Amino acid sequence: MTDPQIERKLIEIMRIINESDRPVGARIIADELRNRGYNLGERAVRYHLRILDERGFTEKHGYTGRSITSRGKEELEEALIGDRLDFVITRIEDLIYRTDYDPVKKQGNVIVNVSYVDKDDFEKTAGLMRSAVDYSISPRVGIFEEDSEDIFVPRGKVGIATVCSITFDGILLRHGIPVKPNFGGILSMENNEPVVFKDLISYRGTSIDPIKIFLMRHSTSVTGLLQSGSGTILANMRSIPQSAAGDAHLLFQQLHESDIGGLLAMDHESGNVLGAPVDIGMSGIVVSVGVNALAVVEEYGIDVNTRPVSTIMDYGTMKSL
Amino acid sequence: MQDKRGVVQFTSSKIEDLMFRTTLDLKSMEGDIIVNLSIADADDIVDVLEFLKLTSNSGLSVSPFLKVLESGDVIGDLTIPEGKVGIATMCSMTIDGVLLKSGIMTNPKFGGVVQIRNGLPVRFTDVLTYTSTTIDPLEVLMSQDITSVTRMLQTGSGKILANLREVHLAKRDEINSVLSGMMDIGINGILEVGDPNSRVLDVPVERDHLGVVVIGGTNPMAIMKEQGINIRTNAMSTLMDINSMDKIEDFF
Repeated sequence: MTDPQIERKLIEIMRIINESDRPVGARIIADELRNRGYNLGERAVRYHLRILDERGFTEKHGYTGRSITSRGKEELEEALIGDRLDFVITRIEDLIYRTDYDPVKKQGNVIVNVSYVDKDDFEKTAGLMRSAVDYSISPRVGIFEEDSEDIFVPRGKVGIATVCSITFDGILLRHGIPVKPNFGGILSMENNEPVVFKDLISYRGTSIDPIKIFLMRHSTSVTGLLQSGSGTILANMRSIPQSAAGDAHLLFQQLHESDIGGLLAMDHESGNVLGAPVDIGMSGIVVSVGVNALAVVEEYGIDVNTRPVSTIMDYGTMKSL
Repeated sequence: MQDKRGVVQFTSSKIEDLMFRTTLDLKSMEGDIIVNLSIADADDIVDVLEFLKLTSNSGLSVSPFLKVLESGDVIGDLTIPEGKVGIATMCSMTIDGVLLKSGIMTNPKFGGVVQIRNGLPVRFTDVLTYTSTTIDPLEVLMSQDITSVTRMLQTGSGKILANLREVHLAKRDEINSVLSGMMDIGINGILEVGDPNSRVLDVPVERDHLGVVVIGGTNPMAIMKEQGINIRTNAMSTLMDINSMDKIEDFF
């Protein structure tokens, strides 16, 4: 391993190349690096690019610039674990800042999860998702076919965007309420009411999204909940100052008129909310997550690949299933 | 995990409890160790033991100690169900328990996936810290389709489960002597001991600390899973008297 400082610059250069859909030249890379707080001249960038070429992580296309190779993409996912430890929360924060949905004007961007299913499974998927709409955030979804220009959809698949619960964090923040997502977890429900979290994973201290972890473990039983009123769903928890709880309540009420819901509990008395720890002086807010609608589909046996907290999308373009 | 008030318990506090209750004495070879409990179909026991032998010979298990439990046997608060068999194997956290009894406080940081290239550990590629989860990180990572323990066994390159703890450098010499004492009795799951204030497998450590990476006790079960054996593992289940356990070679 080379010096971590050099390694970090190499990774940052690869990230910049990876974010572009066409080959990128050294000058553009140097400019973007400066934006991100790395002072590296064009010549130094060229030097680093040669190292990346030698390692097989990037390739040169004549004078137009460089693109990333599949080995380079792999390296981006595996390298610098120390930096990626808080990667999940950092990426979420980026999306939180880009959320600008206005509950009064009823317009703006929301954060979405993107799930992929086989084209042939789509009709069945849509039906199952409709049945679980009460345990997601919004009945509105975005549907993307293979030729979509907004979202990459693999061949033979359909992309389904569902409203992500982190949208609330974005909206709370825009209204001046300091908020951070704390945990994702498995919440047990009885008589259609939330009871207690069975397991929690923090949004900090993990290199994999907590909700993705629970989805992969097949730990939900939303089907059971729909049939008998008892089961387990995915939910997440954030905390805000107690003094902001009133404002937050009002926002949740306003959002209801835009078909955005999913609030399960808001509590500040017992030091925990549904079993999840809450610091003194804070209120814990528990919200069901949008991908519960996809958890049902997986429970049914249909293959779903979900990327939680994926991107932002204009809520106005999303339609009820 | 929940306590009586229904508040969830994070893995980090569960570990400290188990570390405190570990009583294994390396000299007298007496005392309790921390075990992982796996449940498999009784019909698969021959295959399970074969895989345990294979992984033990390849240095992919923490120790050769194990105990086979029949259906109806009770361990901790669990009874082995009908038609099933239970396999208790040493959990890597036993090492932290033994270090603690020797006066060395470790700080278990996280469980993760380590990339191995040509038999040598290269770096952690995914991690989950003990303070941030209520489910054992290695149990979690085992279910994410990101390990390739079988490939590692076949080709010498792949991704295996391991965990990291930090120790203050004041105890550096004692650590080495306790660790070699453990190796003498067959506990040889130590993957890497870092230098003070230096990264260990690409992970920075706290100031004046060094990192110790130990192979996860659940790697053999990860292989069995990859090979299609129906096996479920409860990591860090309970404690067990080492003298009530057998060694894997006793079965062959």
